Amino acid sequence: MSVAVDLPAAPVRPRGSLFERHGRGFGLTLLVLLLGFLSLYPLAMLFYGSLHSTPPGMAGVFNLDGYASLGSDENLAALVNTVAISLVKTILSLALAILMAWIIARTDTPGRGVLEVLITLPFFIPPILTATAWAMLGNAQVGTINIVWKAITGLETPLVDVYSYGGVIWHMMQYSTPFIFLLVVDAFRAMDPSLEEASRMSGASRWQTFWRVTFALMLPVTTSAFILSFIRGMESFESAVFFGTPVGINVITTQIYNSITQKGTPDYQSATALGFAAMALMFLLLVVQSRLLRGRSFTTVTGKGYSPNVTRLGRLRWVTFAICVSFFVLTVVLPVGQLLLSSFFQFFGFYQLDMLTLQHYRDVWENDEFWHAFGNTMLLGVIGATATMALGGIVAYVTTRTTWRGRRLIDILAWLPWMMPGMVLGIGFLWGFATLPHSVPIYGTLWALLLAYIALGTPVAVRVTSGAYAQIAKDIEECSRVHGAGWWQTLGRILIALAWPAFAVGWVLIFFGIMRELSASILLYVPDTEVMSVVMLKMWVGGKPEEVSVLGLIMLVLVLVFRWVQLRFIGRRISTL
Amino acid sequence: MLRRTVLGGLAASATASTMIVRSAVAQDADWQKLVDAAKKEGKVSIYTASIGSPFHKIIFKAFEAKYGIKVELLEARASEVRERVRVEQSAGRFLGDLHHNGSTTTWLMTQDGNFQPHGPLPNLKNIEAPYEASEMSVPAEVISYCLMVNKNMVKPGEEPKVWKDILDPKWTGKILSDDYRALGGGAVFFMVMYDTFGREFHEKLAAQKPVFSRDLANSERRVARGEFPLYIPFSLQDLNNLKGLPVKPIVPAEGRPYVRFDLSMLKNAPHPNAARLFTNFYLEPEQQLVFANAGYNPVVKGVIEKTSEDIRPHLATKALGTTTPSKQDAMLALAKEIYK
Repeated sequence: MSVAVDLPAAPVRPRGSLFERHGRGFGLTLLVLLLGFLSLYPLAMLFYGSLHSTPPGMAGVFNLDGYASLGSDENLAALVNTVAISLVKTILSLALAILMAWIIARTDTPGRGVLEVLITLPFFIPPILTATAWAMLGNAQVGTINIVWKAITGLETPLVDVYSYGGVIWHMMQYSTPFIFLLVVDAFRAMDPSLEEASRMSGASRWQTFWRVTFALMLPVTTSAFILSFIRGMESFESAVFFGTPVGINVITTQIYNSITQKGTPDYQSATALGFAAMALMFLLLVVQSRLLRGRSFTTVTGKGYSPNVTRLGRLRWVTFAICVSFFVLTVVLPVGQLLLSSFFQFFGFYQLDMLTLQHYRDVWENDEFWHAFGNTMLLGVIGATATMALGGIVAYVTTRTTWRGRRLIDILAWLPWMMPGMVLGIGFLWGFATLPHSVPIYGTLWALLLAYIALGTPVAVRVTSGAYAQIAKDIEECSRVHGAGWWQTLGRILIALAWPAFAVGWVLIFFGIMRELSASILLYVPDTEVMSVVMLKMWVGGKPEEVSVLGLIMLVLVLVFRWVQLRFIGRRISTL
Repeated sequence: MLRRTVLGGLAASATASTMIVRSAVAQDADWQKLVDAAKKEGKVSIYTASIGSPFHKIIFKAFEAKYGIKVELLEARASEVRERVRVEQSAGRFLGDLHHNGSTTTWLMTQDGNFQPHGPLPNLKNIEAPYEASEMSVPAEVISYCLMVNKNMVKPGEEPKVWKDILDPKWTGKILSDDYRALGGGAVFFMVMYDTFGREFHEKLAAQKPVFSRDLANSERRVARGEFPLYIPFSLQDLNNLKGLPVKPIVPAEGRPYVRFDLSMLKNAPHPNAARLFTNFYLEPEQQLVFANAGYNPVVKGVIEKTSEDIRPHLATKALGTTTPSKQDAMLALAKEIYK
């Protein structure tokens, strides 16, 4: 089967309107400058930090001590651990996410609409909360799962121990599986089923059709999701620090954290050098992906109409149903059940009748600081996610649909922030924004946070939209141009309109990414621009995990509302395609 | 001769007394001028590493109520506060007035020249030994560390009485601990135990295989839930958050390690008078009593006696020792060597 694959892409050459003759150069320059400011500028500050014995603004000398420290046994072990853990968790998550995406988008499994929302929920729960919940569920001594296991079997050895490699990987998978699922499910849904039908009619089995057609056509989306998730895994901190550090499992981010916050004199030079080492590794991955996809076409949305259909599974549909429900129970019901229950008790994990209370809800309700931060976060979330998707949509268009000079540079600039661990990049923003001329009113304002969020979200926006663009045939776009539509009109009314489901997913991912972002926020907020993640940190450190649970539940309710609205929109859009 | 001497003495005393009174009056007038100037400034901006503490907020609100001066708070972890101050000052942005952080970070920042002298403050006289103010910083409050046990798992007769009791083999694998290889309570504990009992203590403790955790806020609850019977080092001020749980703090007979938090006036503070007024306010016994009842050791005289009965016995214990900032990095390296 080689349907719709192996056809070289024919990039669109926009016609010679006034914009294209003069505006394009100006627009591209503006785009490069904007991306340069958002990504290159903070990274340049960090690069300086990696080559200088002291951070910017302090007397010191240039040397390579930071990079020399990479060769230490400790750092090399952390590097190997990081790559191994991230690779294992990404492969497992990808397999699970693709299976569930196929089940939801292409089969007649019962309750798919509800399951789709439920499967994605774990991604939106703050990691600190699920880590706490899993520490209670899966610790070897008195973890709920082990108590039940010992009671049933009479054995003394525990069934699970979250303080292990397995625990670190499992905790990371709860985030990467729904993340990958979100990225791939709409691609499965938007695929023209006639390609699969052709495969089946040519005698291929269901598995052969899935592997050679469905999966093959999903390659741009799945490899993008794999790389995004693998990189996120390399930058993951919470899982490793909660479940790895106590048993001596160190990764790059815990090493960076140690260098910055756990030494008498913070060692920014080593931390930034480690960040750049991680970045170099990730860059290699991108090159591999680019080679893998070069010269192939993955068009599935063409000018021809099609009606999405589903594979009838017969009795097997209950097996697929059970798979999705099991994932939901393990990743949502168990940890969120703990959170929900704990939010009604005086202490997290102590379920005694005399400790029942609504005090935590009252405390959050009466917390002015929280509401102020909530307002700021919503404002930054809505504006940030919208602006990021707009920027990502433009960048993805330029890099995937045109042959304009400079598009490679734009692609790289947009990718850079994703490849630097968040806690290092946060320092880059601090150094970058604080040292701007005082007449540029960014530092100490909401602008600092907004720009940082846009920079952090742009790589996701670009990957999500470029994956969707890759599925849209060039003929529709050319048709629009032939009929006299301008560049912006074509972008808005053809590409964005057709890629709308991906835009909606990207928007939600970025919005909730902003809600959770802490590394840059803690370094850029000022008393008037506090955001939710900072308030949650204060509650956590201040010994109020129950109130953090309440906030986590509020976030989950928000997710449910957003996802419901989003899926209604997508359903409507898909039915009109 | 004697009469002349007595008369001379009296005259000298009278003159000295008059001078003291005049000086006090002049000081009062000067201080009143500072209070007026502080009120005109209208706000004070504090950068603190004490995150999410409700007790500090009580003090801030009391200050706002008394003087009508708004307190703005920027809370972040110790190293983040330090870096923000450093980068802001090097960029010529002088946004903060006061810095509130642990004594190690304060010492480092003093070396970096991030502070300015706080000048004379009337309440400096309240400070009690072993705490003392320097030209650049004033002791604010003290975090004291001890042991914590799960009462359901450790019977009173089995409780450790002295620090070396935790080296008993019966605790092997049963101790949850802050990480000694990282800044924080664990590092304070490591240095004080090393200074008091030597390397041998740590080698024996390492053989006990303590389980390290960086999730400090959750460690106490893990012990309360029965995951471990013993936790070190327990910060006394967390006791308030655990009332109702089966845990008990124990200050061993030798005393408690402690770490001091300091207040320092940032270089080119935009509201210097409000900053000085706030620092002075912080050293009033009424404010220190708020901290003491919360489990912090106060830094001024006559406060512990007024604390609530449940916390007083823990605070009125011997201060065993604290960190030496200049030795901090060497100690962290040593901890790494011993606790592999």
